[in-house]
Amino acid sequence: QDKNVALRISTWVPAQQPLNPTLQAWADDIKKQSGGTLTFTLFPAEQLGKAFDHYDMARDGIADITWVNPGYQPGRFPIIGAAQLPLYISNAKAGSAAINEWYQQYAATEMKDVQFCMAFTSDPAGMHSRKKIVLPTDVKGMKIRPANAMLAQFVTTLGGTNVQASAPELRDLLERGVADSVMFPWGSVVLFGLDKVAKYHIDFPMFAAPTVLVMNKEKYKSLSVNQKKAIDDHCTSTWAEKVATPWADFEAAGKPKVAAQAGHEIVEMTPEQVQIWRTAAQPVEAAWAEGVKKVGGDPKQILDSLKKTLAKYKSAL
Amino acid sequence: MAETDLIAILGFVSLFALMLLRVPVGMAMGLVGITGYSMIVGPGPALKLVGQTSMRTVTEYTFGVIPMFMLMGAVVSVSGLGRELFKAANSMIGHVRGGLGVATVLACGGFAAICGSSVATAATFSTVAYPEMRRAGYPQSFSAGVIAAGGSLGAMLPPSTVLAVYAVLTQQDVGKLFMAGILPGILAMILYVITIFLIVLIKPKWLPHSEPRAWRERLADLSNVWAPITLFLFVIGGLYGGFFTPTEAGGVGASGALILGVLRRKLNIAKIREALLSATRTAAAVFTVLIGALMFGYFLTITQTPQKITVFLTSLGIGSYGVLILILLMYLVLGCLMDAMAMIILTVPIIYPVITQLGFDPIWFGVIVVMTVELGLIHPPVGMIVFVIKSVVQDVSFTTIFKGVLPFVATDIVRLAILISFPAIALYLPSLVR
Amino acid sequence: MKNNFSDRFINAIESLAAIFVGLVALNIFLNVLLRKIFSTSIPDSYDFGRMLLGILIFWGIAATSYRGGHITVDLVWTAATPRIRRAIDIFATLVLLFVVIVQTTMLFDKVRGTYNDRVLTYDMNIPTWPFYAVAWAGDVCAVLLIAIRTWRLMFNPESLEHGTESSESQENHG
Ligand code: NA
Ligand code: NA
Repeated sequence: QDKNVALRISTWVPAQQPLNPTLQAWADDIKKQSGGTLTFTLFPAEQLGKAFDHYDMARDGIADITWVNPGYQPGRFPIIGAAQLPLYISNAKAGSAAINEWYQQYAATEMKDVQFCMAFTSDPAGMHSRKKIVLPTDVKGMKIRPANAMLAQFVTTLGGTNVQASAPELRDLLERGVADSVMFPWGSVVLFGLDKVAKYHIDFPMFAAPTVLVMNKEKYKSLSVNQKKAIDDHCTSTWAEKVATPWADFEAAGKPKVAAQAGHEIVEMTPEQVQIWRTAAQPVEAAWAEGVKKVGGDPKQILDSLKKTLAKYKSAL
Repeated sequence: MAETDLIAILGFVSLFALMLLRVPVGMAMGLVGITGYSMIVGPGPALKLVGQTSMRTVTEYTFGVIPMFMLMGAVVSVSGLGRELFKAANSMIGHVRGGLGVATVLACGGFAAICGSSVATAATFSTVAYPEMRRAGYPQSFSAGVIAAGGSLGAMLPPSTVLAVYAVLTQQDVGKLFMAGILPGILAMILYVITIFLIVLIKPKWLPHSEPRAWRERLADLSNVWAPITLFLFVIGGLYGGFFTPTEAGGVGASGALILGVLRRKLNIAKIREALLSATRTAAAVFTVLIGALMFGYFLTITQTPQKITVFLTSLGIGSYGVLILILLMYLVLGCLMDAMAMIILTVPIIYPVITQLGFDPIWFGVIVVMTVELGLIHPPVGMIVFVIKSVVQDVSFTTIFKGVLPFVATDIVRLAILISFPAIALYLPSLVR
Repeated sequence: MKNNFSDRFINAIESLAAIFVGLVALNIFLNVLLRKIFSTSIPDSYDFGRMLLGILIFWGIAATSYRGGHITVDLVWTAATPRIRRAIDIFATLVLLFVVIVQTTMLFDKVRGTYNDRVLTYDMNIPTWPFYAVAWAGDVCAVLLIAIRTWRLMFNPESLEHGTESSESQENHG
């Protein structure tokens, strides 16, 4: 008989965000497989620590399992940065399975202080602005809240400036002109009321925010073989897709809500325009490659593998 | 009882013991929080939490709103704006029986509109208004009482550091909370003035009156208030006009007060240094409590204490207003022990879930709780504002001050009842923003 | 003289903290000005702002700890006899010293982590650890100053009578 272990899961989004119930269901399924010996308490909404600290929290055992956005800490996790590069991922469902499969090769090196579980991504999205943006040149002189550090570099490259703020502050910042534009998935645009201020939307999968689920190493090691297997069986590409799906659906549901309102302009991109954005993103890719080389990685291998895996899951842009 | 509950109770008991032994409130909370956390999770994670929480708290950009409004208040205090406001108000209404008291309330209100701290407001008018009232023959107790009451406006009218801290703790909008304080602040001024006139009615000889001044002089004195009005319009107007964020409003307000003071030759290097130092010390003291409170908060989170307290309070069967009154009574008791800021930081993380669970409006509760803790600053036996007045005005005894304060304490309780009955007084203005 | 030295030391620390609070205000002021007039912003002004805030707070904590300016509950202390007061004061500073030593140690761990993990600023990609290190140095000063204060309280209480407790602690917390 395995001994009972109680585990704390920590996330940084509000309790009603669909990821929280999804993670609860994921945990319940592990509990079932472990014969009830593994129990979980979910602490949403930064109750155990700030969003930025979630990797450290798992490493240090402040929580046992945490949900991490590696893009919050520029420079710290360069390899997974490949999945933050603009214009690679077309959808969050199969795309999450792809990113998980791809990143499993590097996780043990890049996130060596923790027991890596799986990676999955937010719904790829575009920008929501007070002024119309169509092409990269429109970004020049604009103040933009990027989705993560990689996109912050993109903004800088295009001659814009970055605004850092948490999601609840964004509406205020747009109203006060502190920010002109926000990179945000559709559902969250509606959730945080940004559609009241931002009337122009470019709608193409410009960026995705890959996130990871990690576990405290000691805690994992202390588990029995059966318990470890219960966890491992829930850290798979299938589960990555399963966990990402309700979240992606929630985000996707935001677009028709915005489109139904008067006074909004949704700009769709032609393939030529997408190509222009892609060319504009080249310097960011080059800078990313430099960063990877610095930690001894092989940028070409990493990027090729990402492209190949995305293609395999029909999630490449 | 579960083991975690026992640890939580032990935590509260040792927290109070340490605080009564004069261990700084923040350090006591941190020590107890981390010790409790390590008993439940383990010493390793608990220690890591110390470094992480300390660093994260002090480098949180939005927390910058706290020192910035403190700096603005400190600059305003050293640049003599309080004296000008009082002179103008006194010039207009000082000749009426009780008019000096009314002038003090009005000037406190004006000062409160550019200074975020009630203690600083009270300290300023202890030096500015108290000597004038005494010279005019006002009794010590009344003079001190009206300053204590007027001082409490500092935390109610925007800007307000206590409301800003409440906003930070509950992740509510600072701008909305500031706006929510305006009407209750004005209501307070009206009620204080009514109280003064009631005192005049009951004891006509108690408060003498002086000769009215020539209109030319009155207008000259009045024209001096352009500086504080400009500053207020600039900061609060800029905040609601959509020019800057609350943190920026604080920074811009502090810079504006500095520029204004230098241009009007009211500030020199020594005074600027004094203001910067005062803001640094206050900010450091408040952040120490914030860090400690967050550590204590994590301890409470893993013991799930707030949820348990919520369940307990709602199971009492006294209704939501019963629970509210119970909570406010607790604040009045705590007000006998500690400073407003410490009280807010210590209790809000525990009480806030209860309040939202009961369906009360978080913005409204912010105003209510700040009113209640401010009341704690003036009611006997201990009160920070009373201490400050006493330290500036050495010749008065505590008993005398508290005697003078009592009518205003009664007024505040009436105001609290009005605000609980008519939440719209606090919520109307914020509802206009969005 | 030893006294003179630690007084100058504490003055220097306070001045540094005061300069940092001024810098935070200046950073915000300039940023708003640039945004409103030139529609641009200081690169990394957000990261600078928050890291300067951290520096100012830890250096401020050093000064505040020495001056006895922390927020305390004085109910028992006020009612106590001078002998008991002194005992309470010594106990409280010893606890303060202990807590700040633990905090400083763990903050060092955090600074080291920031260095090892190569965390950068958002716009200019400058390493953030030096800022954290300067903030940490403030906490080191806090330990030194609290140690001096504890020593003075225990063996030389007269030296703390004026210029600290009474005249300096009337700050405007509320
Ligand atoms: Na105020
Ligand atoms: Na009191």
